[in-house]
Amino acid sequence: MEVSMRPPLAELENKAVWLALLMLAIGLHIFEAALPSLGPWFKPGLANLITLLALVWMGPRAAFMLSVFRVLVGSFFIGTMFTPTFVISMAGGVTAALVMIAAWRTLPGISLVGVSLLGALAHMTAQFVTVESLFIHQAALYYILPPLLLLSCFTGWINGALAGYIAGRLKHDSIR
Amino acid sequence: MITTQDMPPQSLLQLLRGSWTDRGLLVVSLIGIAAAWFFIQGRIASGPPMAEIYHGDTMLASYRLPEPGQPPVHFEAEGDLGISEIVINADGVRMASSPCTSQRCVLSGTHRHAGDLVACVPNRILVTIRGSRDSNLDAVVE
Repeated sequence: MEVSMRPPLAELENKAVWLALLMLAIGLHIFEAALPSLGPWFKPGLANLITLLALVWMGPRAAFMLSVFRVLVGSFFIGTMFTPTFVISMAGGVTAALVMIAAWRTLPGISLVGVSLLGALAHMTAQFVTVESLFIHQAALYYILPPLLLLSCFTGWINGALAGYIAGRLKHDSIR
Repeated sequence: MITTQDMPPQSLLQLLRGSWTDRGLLVVSLIGIAAAWFFIQGRIASGPPMAEIYHGDTMLASYRLPEPGQPPVHFEAEGDLGISEIVINADGVRMASSPCTSQRCVLSGTHRHAGDLVACVPNRILVTIRGSRDSNLDAVVE
C-alpha cells in the first residue's frame, strides 16, 4: 500500500467518528423527546453532550454541523419535521452551538462545564425568543423563563461534567 | 483555548467542581436569573388570581380563578388549528383539549401559581396566571 493513502484514511476515520457521534446524538434526541416534559420546551440536554464532545475532538465546524444535522434527522424520526417544534429545536440547537463555540474559543480558563452551562442557558433563551417572535407574540411567555433557566444551569453543569469525564476517560483508554 | 491534550484524567466529582471561570459564570448567571425572577414576580404576583387567554398577540379573555365551591369556567379558544378547550376552576387552569398533535399542553396538567402558563404553540394559544390568592387587593388602579 502506498504511503499516499494515509491522509484519505485519516479523513475517512474523522468522518466515521463524526457520523458515530451524529448517530449517538440523534438517538439521545429521540430518547429525550420520549421523556415526560418537565416544563414547556425543557429537556435535560443530553444530546448537547455529544455536541460538546464533537467540539473537543473535532473542532467548531464539526460541532456546529452535528448540532444542525442532529435536529434535522432527529425531527424526521420523531415526526416533527418543519413543525413549530422543529423550528424551536433548531433555533435552540444552533444558538447553543454558536455560544458554546464562542465561549470555548474566547473565554480563558473555561472548561467543558462552563461551556455547557452557557450552551444550556443560550438554548433555553433562544427557544423562548423564537416562540415569542414567531408564534405567540406575548411577553407574558417570559414569566416562566427564570425557573427554567435555573433548571438549565443545573442540567448544563451536570452535562458539562459528564462530557469532560467521557472525553477524559476515552483519551485515557486510548480509544481516541 | 483548551485541547484534549491539556486535560488530565479527572474523576466526575472533580469535574463537577468546575474551574474558577466556570464558577464565576455560574454565579453571574444565578444572580441574573434571581434578579429577573424577583422582578417578574413583583410585577405579576399582586392582585387577585387571574387567568388570561391569548391567541397570538390578541387577548381573548381574562377570568378570575373561581373560589373553592364556585362552578368552573369552560372557554373555547379559537386558534390557528382549531379550538382549544380551557377549564378554569378553583384548582387552577388546564387545557382540556387541543387540536395539536403532541398534546403537550393537555398533558402538562393544572397550573395555579402566578407566572405559570399553558401554551399550545402549534395552535398559538397561551394561558397565563397573574396574581395570588394571598393578595388582599382586588385591583390596582392608576
